[in-house]
Order: sequence, then C-alpha cells, then structure tokens
Amino acid sequence: MILPKRWAVALWLSRFLCQADREAVLGDLTESGESGGGAIANILGLVVRRWMTDLFDMQVWFAVGFFILPISYLLSAIAQNTAGIGAVYSWMYLNNWDWALTRNPGFWHLLRETAINYSIACLVLACWSWSGGFPIGRLPNANLRANRIAFSVLLAALFLVDVPARLIQFWMSSHGVPLGPALPDPNAPITANVFYHLFFPWIVLATLVILPGLSGIRHGNRSLVLERKIRVLLVTAATISVLILLIHVPGVNLLFGAAVGDWLWRNRSAMQVLPLLSCWPLFYVVANGFGRYRGRNAAVAE
Amino acid sequence: MIGEFEYLILSSATRLGVDAYGASIRSEIEKATGKKCSIGALYTTLDRLENKGFVTTWMGEPTRERGGRSKRLVQVTPTGVNEAGDFFRVISRISKGTSWTTNRTTR
Repeated sequence: MILPKRWAVALWLSRFLCQADREAVLGDLTESGESGGGAIANILGLVVRRWMTDLFDMQVWFAVGFFILPISYLLSAIAQNTAGIGAVYSWMYLNNWDWALTRNPGFWHLLRETAINYSIACLVLACWSWSGGFPIGRLPNANLRANRIAFSVLLAALFLVDVPARLIQFWMSSHGVPLGPALPDPNAPITANVFYHLFFPWIVLATLVILPGLSGIRHGNRSLVLERKIRVLLVTAATISVLILLIHVPGVNLLFGAAVGDWLWRNRSAMQVLPLLSCWPLFYVVANGFGRYRGRNAAVAE
Repeated sequence: MIGEFEYLILSSATRLGVDAYGASIRSEIEKATGKKCSIGALYTTLDRLENKGFVTTWMGEPTRERGGRSKRLVQVTPTGVNEAGDFFRVISRISKGTSWTTNRTTR
C-alpha cells in the first residue's frame, strides 16, 4: 500500500508515542477518516503534550538528578578519553601510512598490539554504557520515554561542552593545584584535522555510548519481569560495572583524596584488568538473544 | 471538582457505554460542542481521569475499519459517575435563575 506523504509523516511522528498510544491514536484517526494534515496536527499535539507532562513530572527530575546525570557524566568523560586515543592512533596509522614501514616486523607488532588494546577499550566502553543504561531502564515504567531522551540529550550536551575536562580544571584551580606552563599542543596536527576534531568523537559517542546505553535501558526495562534472583544478580553486576567505570574516569580520583589516589596508582596493574569484568553485558545480550530465539522457535513449533 | 472537558468525556463515555473509546468519545464531544476536539487533549485528559480513578481504560481487539489497530476502551467508574453528577448539580444550581438570552441579544 502506498501512503500519501502526509500520512507517512504522521506515521513517523507517531513513533514518538508509546506503543499503546500509537495503536489507539492511529486507529482513531483511520476510523474517523482524518486527512493527512489533520493526522499530523493531532499526533504532534499529543506528542508535545506527553513531553510537557514528562517535563513537569518530579519522578523524571529525580531520575535525571540521581541517575541519568551522574551516569551520563561518567560516560561522556570516558568517551572523550577513548575518542581522543582513537583519533591519535587513527591519525598515526591512516593519515601517515608509509609502505616502507610494512617491511618492519616491529611496525606490525605495534600495530597488532594497538589494535587489540583499542578494540578492548571500545568494547569496555560499550559495555560500561550498556551497564549505565541498565539501571535507568529499571526506573518507573511510565517515564521510560523521558528517561531515554534525557540520557541521550545529557550525554550529547556534556560531551559537546566537554564538562568533565572543565570540571577538573575548575577543581584544580579552586584547590590551588598549579596548572603548569601552557605547552604547545602535541596533538595539534590531529585537532587541526576536521574529521578527527569534529566527526570522530561524535561517531564514538553515538556508536559506543548512546546506542549501547539505549540498549541497556531497553534490557533494564525488560528485566522487570524476570525472577527476583536474576534481577538482583543483574542489578549487582550493573552496579559493579558503574563503580569500576567511576574509578577509571579521569579526574574522579581527585574527589577521593590523595590516599585513594595513591592506592589506585600502586594497584594500577589490577585496575587495568578490572574493566574486563565490565564486559558481562556481552554474554547477557548473547544469552538473552539466544533464549528469545529459542522461545520464538518453540512457539512456532507449537 | 472536575473540569468542564473532563465532564464532557465522562458524560460521553457514560452515554456510549460499552462503545466508549477514543474515536467515539471524540465524535460525541465534537457533535455536542460543534468544535474540533484534539486527540492530544482527549488522551491526556483520559490519562488524568484514569489517574484520579474516574475511568478505567484498556486496549481492545484490533478491528478492520481501524486498519487493524486496537481501540483504547473506556469505562467510567462509580467514583467517576459521582464526580460527573456533582459537577452537573453544581452547574445546574449556579445556573438557576440565570438567563443568557439577554447577553446574547444585546450584542
């Protein structure tokens, strides 16, 4: 069936509504023979009213203040870090490729090591984002849409303004920590490249933070119907992942004081292994997908 | 006390009985007021009425004339009936002895 353009717009707009609203509203508009323009106006009106309702809901603000903002802060800080490292290595290897180096075994050894380490860092970031989204998905069901929007918008805003780096600078200046002399930026050639400066960090944020985070929110919400033991296990695992993330975010150790900072530094080898524990969502998502696939097949067989 | 739009919904839904759902309530309100009733206003008010315990809503079966989509069926609860009744009595009491004809003809 070919839809008139305005109805296609109305259908697209209805994606911003929850499933039950979407079903009832589209059915009502079809039944009453509403024109495409009328359907757009009606759906847009409902979407805006729903958003306004969310905006004035204290539960949403509570969720934003106590869960979404701290988690978004940690994730945007670690994403900036990962994007920065990725930009440096990509620039080094892709923009300065030299065929003469390929004859050097040391070059291949270093390339392999860098690729493995950076892949692990990306995987860990995606898993941290998933774990960060998981508790958000477990917040009251009615606010799921608002929480998803708040998570994405806050992440983008914190990332855009680079709030974590600014907060560290502010903390250092307010505590009298000398900032050191202003040295020339060693990464100046990289930041001068439009792709690495403007696009690369956003690609990292979208693919390794926002998408896995939204997936975590969805799984967190689905987990509400699971057995209590499994729920407790999943929440504990997600909490441990977020705590591991906390100690790996640059600058956060400043808040814990010098003693904790020293202890983390002395145990840095163990700290480097800890993020691997955060990769549990990978197994959970695979097991969950397999379980759902088997469930579907069993239903078809019946 | 409920608002006038809430009253319109409660009144329409009570009259429609088992046929009370989004589109039918909207059509009743449009017929009675002679004005367009937006889906946004209708559904957000229905949510408010449900939160106050004046109506219960649930999703029905998909039907052909709705393009295979379900209805959000509405039933007014006894508390909702009482509230609508109170509203009607208040409006009737306050309107007693008041004539709007003069105001209309003087314009």
